[in-house]
Amino acid sequence: MNQFFNQYFNFDVMQEHFGEVLVAFLQNLLVFAVAAVIALLWGLVLALLRQLPGKKFLPIRFITIAYIDVFRAVPILILILMISGGVPFLTFLPQEIRIPHWFGRPDPFWYGIAALVIVYGAFSAEVYRAGIEAVPRGQMEAARSLGMSHFQAMRHVIVPQAVTKIPAPMLNELISLLKDTTLVSVIALSEAVLVSREILAERLNSSALTLTAIFFLIIILPLARVVDKLIARQQLKVTRGAHIEVA
Amino acid sequence: MAETMVKLQGICKRFGDLEVLKGVDLEVGRGEVVCILGPSGSGKSTFLRCVNLLEPPEEGEIFIEGNDICKGPGSGGGEQGWKLDFVRQRVGIVFQQFNLFPHKTALENVTLAQEKVLGRSKQEARAKASELLERVGLGEKLDQYPERLSGGQQQRVAIARALAMDPHVMLFDEVTSALDPELVKEVLDTMRELAEEGMTMIVVTHEIGFAREVADRVIFMDGGGIVEEGPPAQVIDAPQEERTKQFLGLVLEH
Repeated sequence: MNQFFNQYFNFDVMQEHFGEVLVAFLQNLLVFAVAAVIALLWGLVLALLRQLPGKKFLPIRFITIAYIDVFRAVPILILILMISGGVPFLTFLPQEIRIPHWFGRPDPFWYGIAALVIVYGAFSAEVYRAGIEAVPRGQMEAARSLGMSHFQAMRHVIVPQAVTKIPAPMLNELISLLKDTTLVSVIALSEAVLVSREILAERLNSSALTLTAIFFLIIILPLARVVDKLIARQQLKVTRGAHIEVA
Repeated sequence: MAETMVKLQGICKRFGDLEVLKGVDLEVGRGEVVCILGPSGSGKSTFLRCVNLLEPPEEGEIFIEGNDICKGPGSGGGEQGWKLDFVRQRVGIVFQQFNLFPHKTALENVTLAQEKVLGRSKQEARAKASELLERVGLGEKLDQYPERLSGGQQQRVAIARALAMDPHVMLFDEVTSALDPELVKEVLDTMRELAEEGMTMIVVTHEIGFAREVADRVIFMDGGGIVEEGPPAQVIDAPQEERTKQFLGLVLEH
């Protein structure tokens, strides 16, 4: 028992490597922030492509649905390995895309973000879709009957209402994304898990991993409460039968 | 009759196996007010929604101000082949469920399409919107969100929103059916004023009193077709067809 505690909760080790692990954890937060912004935009694009009307857009809808299905099914870890292992050899691409070092970040940083965006774009597209489909049909009819195009109706009428219906499920996706940034450790990005494992190898002690877990807890626990609040608020609106007001 | 504004010929519409419209014809002249009565499921709302192609018919022809807005029957489903822009700029519609944009104020509801579709400037659109909202008695409510408005007020905003696009024809799809009884009058009054100003109107309604007083012509629909049509004094007060008598008997009993 004592051995277990010493292995995982050795406060001396935690203290000694605190700064190191924190800096590495900031790398996780950075990966998260960049991936989240791009994935949220990409997911919206996918959701809109999926909603295109009419026979003309059938192929686009089909491709979009296939994309969403496939990348919700592929394990991110495999995707990270395939991108980092494959993209550098796509010789028809320019050097700065094959081995990206944009903004002074190493290529594993960008490979990781690419994989996370590809997968979380697909997941967030499904969340957007739920929001879009929760907007009453009459809204689209009203907008179209006023002469707006499908795209104008989406942009000015449907999407602004859809996004107010989905903050809770979207926040869940973001929490999941934040945790999955640790997967980028597999291609040697110096994020918290990789650094913790290096400390483990050096000190034969796992407490840095525990410290990393604590960092995640500190960030994510409050978010879980926010999700609860959002769900409760949504429920209240539904029971009151009121429309959602965006000031 | 005055110049023909809307002409529909042989309109057929199916939902799966259900034949909702079985070759319906209608001609409406400029400034004419036509009320369509009929029991639920008679196809009257579907027919109305065919006029502005919210429900594209499978067969038949639609002319708006003499322009054929369909390529013709069998031109393929969906929106291809329909002159959507032409229709939507000339025909306004008001819905049973109002369908106001809940994230926009009353004023913004009325300005949005003016700016985005007609390309009016913000000032221009606002001026037009305030004027119209004033006219439907909501000059005080410009900055209210729909959820703060009563059903009757919401419906009047919806009327103003449609009028802001300067339509030549207005469609009303059971616009008072979702309203509390005490709110019905304010909406009907607004429509009556509109009729008096000479707007061409096609009104699907259950308000027999309104039809009798305002309509130039009343159409009774049942089973996906027109059963009887004529001036209100004839169709409502002296119906010839058995089904019309039956329906009016049930409605007027109360």
